[in-house]
Amino acid sequence: MDFELTDEQKARRKEFFDICRELEKKKPPNLVGLETIYDHDECWEFHLHCAKQFAQKGWLSLAWPPEYGGTGNMMDRVLFAEARGYHGIPGVDVFGVGMLAPTLIQAGNEEVKKEFLPPIARAEIMWCELWSEPNAGSDLAALSTTAIRRGDEYIINGQKTWNTGAHRADWGFGVFKTDLTARKHHNLTFILLDMKTPGITVKPIPYMDGGRPFCEVYFDDVRVPAKNIVGQENEGWAVVNTLAGFERSSLTEIMSLVRALEDLVKFCNETKRNGQPLSKDPVIRNRIAQLACELEAARALAYRVADLQNRNEMALMDASAVKIFSSELAERFVFTVTDILGPYGQVKLSRWAPMGGAWEKMYQGCFVTTISMGTNEIQRNIIAWYGLGLPRMK
Amino acid sequence: MDLRFTEAQEILRKMARDFLTTECPKTLVRELEQSEKGYSPELWKKMAELGWMGLIIPEEYEGMGYTFQDLTVLVEEIGRNILPGPFLSTITSTFPILEIGNEEQKKEFLPQIARGELILTTALLEAEGTFTATGITTKATAQDNNLIINGTKLFVEMAHVADYIICATRTKNGESPENGITLFIVDSKTSGIDQEVIPTMAMDKQCEVRFENVAVPRKNMLGNIDEGWPIIEMLLRKGAIVKCAESVGAMQTCVEMTVAYSKERVQYERPIGAFQALQHIMADIWTSMETARYLLYYVAWLESEGMPCAKQASMAKAYINEVYKNVSKWAVRLFGAIGTTYDHDIALYYRRSKAADIAFGGTDFHKELVAQGIGLV
Repeated sequence: MDFELTDEQKARRKEFFDICRELEKKKPPNLVGLETIYDHDECWEFHLHCAKQFAQKGWLSLAWPPEYGGTGNMMDRVLFAEARGYHGIPGVDVFGVGMLAPTLIQAGNEEVKKEFLPPIARAEIMWCELWSEPNAGSDLAALSTTAIRRGDEYIINGQKTWNTGAHRADWGFGVFKTDLTARKHHNLTFILLDMKTPGITVKPIPYMDGGRPFCEVYFDDVRVPAKNIVGQENEGWAVVNTLAGFERSSLTEIMSLVRALEDLVKFCNETKRNGQPLSKDPVIRNRIAQLACELEAARALAYRVADLQNRNEMALMDASAVKIFSSELAERFVFTVTDILGPYGQVKLSRWAPMGGAWEKMYQGCFVTTISMGTNEIQRNIIAWYGLGLPRMK
Repeated sequence: MDLRFTEAQEILRKMARDFLTTECPKTLVRELEQSEKGYSPELWKKMAELGWMGLIIPEEYEGMGYTFQDLTVLVEEIGRNILPGPFLSTITSTFPILEIGNEEQKKEFLPQIARGELILTTALLEAEGTFTATGITTKATAQDNNLIINGTKLFVEMAHVADYIICATRTKNGESPENGITLFIVDSKTSGIDQEVIPTMAMDKQCEVRFENVAVPRKNMLGNIDEGWPIIEMLLRKGAIVKCAESVGAMQTCVEMTVAYSKERVQYERPIGAFQALQHIMADIWTSMETARYLLYYVAWLESEGMPCAKQASMAKAYINEVYKNVSKWAVRLFGAIGTTYDHDIALYYRRSKAADIAFGGTDFHKELVAQGIGLV
């Protein structure tokens, strides 16, 4: 059992960190948590700027097979995710680069791969995900938006929701009902569509903090070329499951917490209360140490997932475990830090806000990772049913 | 990076699992709990034949020359099956001899340990019950070629059957509590030593050891006089990691037993494992076990590679202490009333989780070390 990186990997890691450290210096102050890129114009511009720079270096296609311009090495992607997480750098479209590209490589036909992979690698097209509906959340296969085949086209009607960044995206990938009579899970098709197609209406949904990372997307007789599907017609559920396996690397989030811990230690060493630094308070020491222990555990498990993925072994249960653990650790982090900050823990980005106002934002934003990409309760079902082999009650 | 066990480790694991399953059934565990000795000399002999006591002792001292990481692989299996007795106390007491012992001491003790001829233990704690240097008050005073030890050590594992006791003493009241501590290898048959088993939750034979004018030859001093504290820090670090390995093995059994039972036990006309309330608890204990496991593997690797890892070892101990207690607690609860009985195996694990927590430093002790390690001033 060996956690050591090769010299080549260490050199790559250093390069990733060097570039991200430089980019951090140009980061807009209101870019707090990667979801804010969808919210503010200057954050979105910064995201595109980083994406272009990464594209030039070939970093958006790192883990892809060499025939599509990648290195074929999963570990590169992991190390890159660490650097971005630590420095809080966007520039990787979680939907296009993170989810769709690996799905296309695994499930798309040659034509679809040739058309859609290069613009992802070049950061020319930003994607959004069109999955959930008002009445189909965790029970995604119960969705009702239809895509009816007519000649060389699908005609789409219905509504999607919780579509992160749909108002910024160029294209979207979604799952739609293409057979009105077939049974559940055998009636869905995975479709790629241009968000500028007539008949699409995008309405941002105000988040509790006033930001607008999510949207509703309405479809009114939207015509999509029939060739824009991944996998076979009515076999979209398998593609959905493939894509779900390519979750955003939890390492990005974990490394953002590694950085947050360092910032927190510095803050507590420098900030006085009751005539002494916060760091002298045994209660605070104990609570921060607890976070540090849990963070190290999360990181170790994330490496386990990376190691499995690196050998092309499925890491379904461990990926669910690290998703649950790291997102709930982020919650505990937020609650602990805002406690330590006292009255300052509630302050929005302003001259009163400590540590760049990150914690007020995180206090409200921590739901993004616990609810999205399969709620943590669904992840627990996955572990129970597929990992522990417990009976599934119908 | 390759987080799989090596082929040699897989062989060691399988051999240990098969051996312990056959040789150490839970009926024997309970029998040994009630016995005076607390271990089985026959079993000890067989373990010695497998080379376990000499696993990490270099070949030149008749050991097997395996790595620290290999040792944690074996200890995980020991924890998985619960092996009562002086194996861990002997192994962890070997660390100071290996690291700081002089050539004569190594030649004298290591081959005997490797052959399974010696049982060792380490006496750190005293009345205060703390692993900090302030807790060490037992005095060792120079007299001719001997040092004379006076004081009382507590919670010394298996001291009642140990041949030698590594004893932490105070030889000087230095400017800081860490300055002035010295370690000795004490023959337990020396006159003036008196032991008594303390009744504990795991019935694991932790002893009070009283030293009254016990003369120890100067040649049995480990390292330099007054400079023993770094050895204790090393011992706490390595011991903590070894204990974590034992705990991870134990929680694996807790999870496996609980999941298996929940598939068999029927209530409301269905196996209780079909209820989501229970499924999510099992998913949670499995998840926490996996985080504990890879944290252990990471720290064991650091230690084995000789990299500095005091902070990470404390993180692991603080974290895994709580995970083992929580996993075994939920295991008992999911078994229901039957899990609370003396004759049920799951209760064995629950009782041991508290002992595992205390050994080599409890959660808050290690969390303070973590706080220092991450730079809180």
